[in-house]
Amino acid sequence: MTTPPTPNVPARSAASALARSPQAGLLAVLLVLGAGLTFAAGSHADPLTGASINNFLNVHTLIQMATDASSFAIMGVGATIVIISGGIDLSVGAVYALAGVTMAMVLRAAAPLDPAVAVALGLATCLLVSLACGVANGIMVVGLDVHPFIITLGTMWMLRGLAFVTSKAESILVPSALTAVAKAPLGLGTALYPVPLLVMIAVTVVGTAYLARTVMGRHVFAVGGNPEASRFAGLHVGRIRLGVYVLSSLAAGLAAFMGAAFYGSATSSDANGYELYVVASAVVGGASLSGGKGSALSATLGAILIVMIRQGIRTLHLDQNYEWIIIGGAMVLAVVFDQRGTRWLARRAAKNAVARPSSPQ
Amino acid sequence: MAPAVRFTGITKRYPGVVALHDVAFDVAAGSCHAVCGENGAGKSTLGKLLAGIITRDAGTIELDGREVRFDDPAAALAGGVAMVHQELALCANLTVAENLCLGRMPSRGGFVSWPAMRERARVLLGDVGANLDPARPMSDLSVAEQQLVQIAAAVGSGARIIVFDEPTSSLSEGEAESLYALLGRLKARGVTVLYVSHRMPEIFRLCDTVTVLRDGAHVTTVPTATLDERELVRQMIGRELGQYFPSHVGGAPGEELLSVSGLTRPGRFRDVSFSLRAGEVLGFAGLVGAGRSEVAEALFGLDARATGEVRVRGELVRIGSPRDAMKHGIGLVPEDRKVQGLVLPMKARENVTLPFADRVARRTWMSHAAEKALTTEWFGRLKVRASSTEVACAELSGGNQQKLVLARWLAAGSRVLMLDEPTRGVDVGAKAELHARIDQLAADGHGVLLISSELPELINLSTRILVFRNGRVVGEVARVEATQELLMRLMAGLPSHAATA
Repeated sequence: MTTPPTPNVPARSAASALARSPQAGLLAVLLVLGAGLTFAAGSHADPLTGASINNFLNVHTLIQMATDASSFAIMGVGATIVIISGGIDLSVGAVYALAGVTMAMVLRAAAPLDPAVAVALGLATCLLVSLACGVANGIMVVGLDVHPFIITLGTMWMLRGLAFVTSKAESILVPSALTAVAKAPLGLGTALYPVPLLVMIAVTVVGTAYLARTVMGRHVFAVGGNPEASRFAGLHVGRIRLGVYVLSSLAAGLAAFMGAAFYGSATSSDANGYELYVVASAVVGGASLSGGKGSALSATLGAILIVMIRQGIRTLHLDQNYEWIIIGGAMVLAVVFDQRGTRWLARRAAKNAVARPSSPQ
Repeated sequence: MAPAVRFTGITKRYPGVVALHDVAFDVAAGSCHAVCGENGAGKSTLGKLLAGIITRDAGTIELDGREVRFDDPAAALAGGVAMVHQELALCANLTVAENLCLGRMPSRGGFVSWPAMRERARVLLGDVGANLDPARPMSDLSVAEQQLVQIAAAVGSGARIIVFDEPTSSLSEGEAESLYALLGRLKARGVTVLYVSHRMPEIFRLCDTVTVLRDGAHVTTVPTATLDERELVRQMIGRELGQYFPSHVGGAPGEELLSVSGLTRPGRFRDVSFSLRAGEVLGFAGLVGAGRSEVAEALFGLDARATGEVRVRGELVRIGSPRDAMKHGIGLVPEDRKVQGLVLPMKARENVTLPFADRVARRTWMSHAAEKALTTEWFGRLKVRASSTEVACAELSGGNQQKLVLARWLAAGSRVLMLDEPTRGVDVGAKAELHARIDQLAADGHGVLLISSELPELINLSTRILVFRNGRVVGEVARVEATQELLMRLMAGLPSHAATA
C-alpha cells in the first residue's frame, strides 16, 4: 500500500522529462534569447569563401561565449554547493586572483621548466592555494560561528590584498606551455579554442554527479534543508559545512588556472567582481539563498545566460555603457520568471493530480 | 435572528488536495462553536478562510446575513473577524505595546507617541484580564502570554467573531484553565467564538455546538449536548475506533538492552539510573522541564557535558555523538519532528536513509534503487501512507512523518528506540495507529523508551513508568499500579501513600 507502481510512460518520457526538469524554464529562456539574437544579429560575408555567416550563430562567437562563461560556470558550480548548504562564498574572485598570481610567481621562480612539469606545477599550485583559502574560510565560518556572508566578505578583501602585496600589482606572464594546453585546438579550426568549454562541461558533470549521487552531496542538501534535523540524524554538520567552502575555493583555483593559462598572465586584479557574477549564475539557476535547493547544471546554464546577454549587447551594437543595467535587470527578471514558472508548474501538476483518481493518502 | 456566520458551498483547493469541499453550516451569534476533525480534515483551513488569511475558491460567507468577501486579514478585522493563531503571529522583536498597536500607532507629527501607546496597550490588556507589562519584548513571553496578547489585540480591534486555532496545544493545564475562563468572559460579552480543536474534553466543556469535518467535507453540526466523546470520535474518523490503546505487555521481557547509572548533567538532570530490557516499553513521566527529553538527548550523544555510566547489552560504552548512538543501536525520534526530525524539503526516501546514507552507497555513490527498496520495505512494515517514496516530507501528514522518523531508526538497525512525545500533534486515528506500532515494536523485541505528557498514553503503553521531577527520578511505577492520579502526584511532588520513591 505504500508505493503504487509508478505509471509507465515510455514513449513521450524523454520530452516530458525534459519539460518537467527544473532546467526547462532556463533552457527555454536560453533558446528564445539565442533565436532572437540569431534573428536580429544579421549576417556578414566570409572574407575567404564569400558564404553568408550569421553574426551571432557562428562557431567563433559560440566558442567565445563558452570561454567567457566557463570561469563563471566553474565557480558557479562551487558557489551552488555552498548556497545549497545554506551558506554563501563571496571570496571566490579573490581566491582566483591569489591562486593565479601565486602560480605565476612560482612558475617564474622555477623557470625554465619542462612544459609538462610547468603545467602540472601550475595546476598543483593553484589548487593548493585555493585549498588553503577554502579551509581558512570553512574553519572560520564553522569555528567562529559568524555568518558566512561576513566571513567571506572579510576574506575577499584580505585575499585580494594578499595577492596585491605579494605580486606587487605586477602582471606576471605564465609559461607558454600553459597557454598551449588551454588554447589547444583539438582538431578544430584556427582561432577556435574548445578547452575552456570542455572544462566547463566536465566541472558541471562532476558537480551534478556529486550533488545528485554521492553521500556527501546528499549531506549538503540535508544540512542546507534543516541543520538541526541533520544533527539529530548524526551528520557531522560542521565538517560538511567546512567541506563546501573547500569545494567552492577549489573551483575558483581551477578557474584561475584556466584563466591565467588562457590569457597568458595573472594579476592581482583578475576576476575582480566575479563573486557577484558567480552568485548571480547560481541564483539565476534557481539555487535558493535560504539553502536546500539548487543544481550544478542550472548554475552553468545561469552563467551561460549572463554571458549570452553580454554577448547580445555586443552583437546588436548596443551601447556597452548600458551593459550592467541590462544584466542587472535581466537577472531580476530571470529569477522572477523562474519562480513564477515553478509555481505555475506546481499548480498544474496539482490540478492533474486531483483530476486523476488520487493515490492513497 | 441571522446567524453570526453562515458558510455556504465553501471549497478550497491546494496543490494535490481539496482541503474543503462544499462545506455549509451556520454559527449562531454569541455561541462557542467547535470545529473539529482529524488533522487534515480542513478545520484550520476553514478558520483561516473566515479570517481572510487565505481566500476561498468557491462558496459564500455571510456575517449577520450580509455576504462578505475578505481578501486579507485587514479586511476581515475591519469586518469584525479576528483569529488567534496556534503559533506566534506577532513580531517577536517588538514589545507587547508595539504589537498591540501595530495597525495604528499613536503618533504625533509622524513620531510614535510612546506614552499613548503604552496606555492603550494597558487598556487592551486589562480588557482581557491580562496582567502583563506592555514594555516587555514579545520574545520574552511564554506561549500562553503571547496568546493573551493576540486575544487582547483581537478584542481591542472590536472583533465580534474570534477564531481560535487549537489554542491549548502548547499550554500547560493551568494556562489552559485561565484561557477557558477568558473564553467564558468573551462569551458573556456577546463575542462569537469559532473554536478549532480536536481535544475532546475542552470541546465538551466549552462549546455549545460542534461541527465535524472529515476529509474536507462537512459531516454534521449538532448541539454538543446531543453527543458523547465516543460518538464524536466516530464522526471524526468515520469508523468505530476498535481499541483506543493496544493491550500489549504479553511476553516476558528479554535481555537487558540498555542500562544507565548515575547519568548527570549539571543544571538539567542528576543521578538518573534505569535499565531497559528487550520487549519493554519504559515510560518517562514528568512535567515539561523535568529533564526527560534532556536525558534522551544525552543518551543519543547530543549533550557533551553529560556524565555517567551507559551499558549497551552489558558492555560499557561511550556515546559522544548520534553516530556513536546509532552504532550501538540506539535511535531517537525527537520531540519536534519538523525542526529536529526531518529535512522537510527532501524526499521521503532521502530522509529515511539520512543517518546511514553511506550504507546504501557503494564507494560514496548512492543507489537510489536500494534506497527505494529499503524505504518501501519499512513503509510497508510501519504502514506509512505516502503516495510514493519520492514525495517531499513536507507533504506527509503528521502521523506519517512521525512514522518516517521511526522507520529511519529501525532501518538503521536500532534495538533501543527513544520516542519523545511521538503522538503530539497527530490526529486521533493516527495516534491509535502509532500506539499499535509502538506495541508491535516491543513485541518484536525492541526496547522502547517512551516520553509522553499524555498520561493515559503512558499508562496504557508502558511496562513500567519512571517519574521525573526537577531533573531527578522520583519514582518508578509498575503498570499494574499506575493511575493518572498517582503519576500526577509524583510529577508535581505532592505527598502520596503509594509513592515508591
